[in-house]
Amino acid sequence: MARKVLGNDPFGGAPAAPRVAKKSEAPPPAKKSAKAGAKPSVRPPPKPARKSEAPPPAVQPEAAAPLEDSVVVAVTEVLAEAVAPVENAVVTAAAEAVTEAAAETGTRPVVEAPTPSLEDTVAQLDALLDQAGAEAASEPVLSRLAARLRALTLRPSAPPATNLPARTDEPFDAARELLASDFYLRRWGQTAIRDRSEEIDEFGLDPDYARRWQPVWDFLYERWWRVEVEGVENVPATGRVALVANHSGAIPFDGIMLATALRKEHSASRTLRWLAEDFIFHFPFAGAYVNRLGAVRACQENAERLLRRDACVALFPEGVKGIAKPFRERYQLQRFGRGGHIKLAIRTGTPIVPVTVVGAEETHPMLFPSGRIAKLLGVPFVPLTPTFPLFGPLGLAGLPARWKIVFGEPIAMDGYRPEQAEDLVLVNRLNEKLRETIQASLDGLLRARQSVFKG
Amino acid sequence: MTDAKDPEQRAVARIAPPGRVVALTGADGFLGRNLIGLLEDDDRVSRIVALDVERPATAGRKTRFYKVDLTQPRVDARLAEILASEQVETLLHMAFLSSPTHASAWAHELESVGTLHVLNACRERPVRKFVLWSHTMLYGASPRNPNFIPETHPLRAQSASRYLRDKIEAEQVVASFAKASPGTLVTVLRLAPLLGPTVSNYLTRYLGRTLVPTVMGFDPLMQFLHEVDALAAFKMAVMRDMPGVYNIVGDGVLPLSTAIQLAGRMHLPIPHPVFHPIARALWTAQLSEAPPTFVEYLRWICVADGDKVANELQFRPAFTTREAVLDYASAQRMRDARLLRPAHTP
Repeated sequence: MARKVLGNDPFGGAPAAPRVAKKSEAPPPAKKSAKAGAKPSVRPPPKPARKSEAPPPAVQPEAAAPLEDSVVVAVTEVLAEAVAPVENAVVTAAAEAVTEAAAETGTRPVVEAPTPSLEDTVAQLDALLDQAGAEAASEPVLSRLAARLRALTLRPSAPPATNLPARTDEPFDAARELLASDFYLRRWGQTAIRDRSEEIDEFGLDPDYARRWQPVWDFLYERWWRVEVEGVENVPATGRVALVANHSGAIPFDGIMLATALRKEHSASRTLRWLAEDFIFHFPFAGAYVNRLGAVRACQENAERLLRRDACVALFPEGVKGIAKPFRERYQLQRFGRGGHIKLAIRTGTPIVPVTVVGAEETHPMLFPSGRIAKLLGVPFVPLTPTFPLFGPLGLAGLPARWKIVFGEPIAMDGYRPEQAEDLVLVNRLNEKLRETIQASLDGLLRARQSVFKG
Repeated sequence: MTDAKDPEQRAVARIAPPGRVVALTGADGFLGRNLIGLLEDDDRVSRIVALDVERPATAGRKTRFYKVDLTQPRVDARLAEILASEQVETLLHMAFLSSPTHASAWAHELESVGTLHVLNACRERPVRKFVLWSHTMLYGASPRNPNFIPETHPLRAQSASRYLRDKIEAEQVVASFAKASPGTLVTVLRLAPLLGPTVSNYLTRYLGRTLVPTVMGFDPLMQFLHEVDALAAFKMAVMRDMPGVYNIVGDGVLPLSTAIQLAGRMHLPIPHPVFHPIARALWTAQLSEAPPTFVEYLRWICVADGDKVANELQFRPAFTTREAVLDYASAQRMRDARLLRPAHTP
């Protein structure tokens, strides 16, 4: 009987209580008790209590009543145990107040004195707990209390308030699963742009932009120059590799054609980064354009950084001398720089694949030496070819000579120690050997070639 | 001073309070203000000595403010006095302008000569650590730059720009100071151009324009640093010993056009033969904020290599270049709609 009144009317209000044990949740029921406190003065209390007990949520008050009751009992019990050694007057007084309140509310409805409301008692209990905890340093007491309370709260309120199916938490799990998959991360990478590599890599290659231009290169590759590729399997599928090629044609397309060849013919469809001469980066439009396609300014730092990131890098050691030479010197390899590419390969342990490109010289034959005009324009040379300045941008495609690209046997460079990159004699010897290899390959291909345009 | 053999220095070490004493010149600049706020919350720092002409608003319980004007003669003696009386252990020299100014003579006095004064004070009363705020812009924009400029690269910024020349001079005198006084750990932090929601400089105002002028046919790769990472770098320099020069840059690069698009702006390509004279005329008429030499940074690459600080100190910026732009853009959009106050301008 005492528990019913205690559970329902003056303290609990209606559906309060299974969580009363938590002190943070104390205020709401207390507020309600204040509201309810006015009513019982007029009406006898049990009635509204029973009314609230009647409808569907009947489960709750039923479960709540014994719980609240037992909470108070448990708390007082444990506190009494805890308090005993402390012998604090305040403590005992408070405990008395608690029992008093319980007794009072238990026997008759609170009409004129709602002073020791649940709020106060809870506050007192809190204070008691703190004191007991602090003074007796009685961890066992607290843990026992906690255990008791946990047992109390867990026991009765287990059945859910409504009869919603147990599927309620499934959408959560599904969403979590969905988020755990890579799909959304990738989507976000593309749209919310967390991952910049979706857009541009650190050397300026924009994969989307390059893809948009691919049809142009495919046309030139397949239809216009009908490129024939040999030995593409000599390019390893993974890891760093340096392709060293002859540079030719007054307007150099050999970089982009090598990239196209690797993309189309190579089993791993490797992305090629080729090193382009400085001067193209001086030009408006051209510099930014080739940079987005994958060209990188030729310098030691860039090449080394690319190779250390295990890229596939094409190098043209002849540089400008290769493309500015007159037509009568076609396929005559110029000086191979100062062996920078060899030093680089030794330092980074990169295998070198010698590459021979035939056909580009006839695509863009250099008609006249352009010294004076070039000096006037402040560029190393001006490509004066049969098609270029004459036919405007279309002339860039040049003549439809047939190309052949041959990838030679890779030359391993990891047999050398990195310090040997400073051994200039060794570097020079390796450089000359590489140059001779490519020149021999060129000569062989030219001998085998029947026609410039039919191949 | 690291090995306190000198009895006077040992005495100083004994009296020094527990925790570090950090002094900042240019304490009321963007970096200074925020660093003071951060250091106020850090228990490892016992006292902050703020040196500037204005008291920073973030100065709190631990901060002592001294009104110091680096353009005044004999300021070095006063600085040395402050360093001695406060037993300063670490000096952050950040009294630099974050945007070009037309008052170039005053800027020269403040940056180039002011650094000399600060270093003279440090010679008179050595500090254990000296940290300089510098810029990756000082490498200069050039088509001959490697894509990622290492710290060893010479500072080749256009000498025609007083703004950059003063900063290069400051770096040079600090470098010679570092060579001459091995007792002081000298750290130089070269920061990439700062972007972020609260920072305000010529760059945020450039990207905040409705039409952003660019040079037609040029789209250099840009690199930015988020303001939070800049502060993190300075805090790291206070907390850890890292003598030397470090590039502090955000990961990744963006073409200028992409950065402008991410900021939600339109770019207005202008041919260079027209752009440069216009820029010069506007600068001469004091109508533009950036000197004409800054046009070079819209044409050529100037991107620094942040690998050194990543490898040696495991410092990874929290924001990539792209994220810095996006973070700036989100705040800028709110400012455009007048939902946010304009960023603090010093």
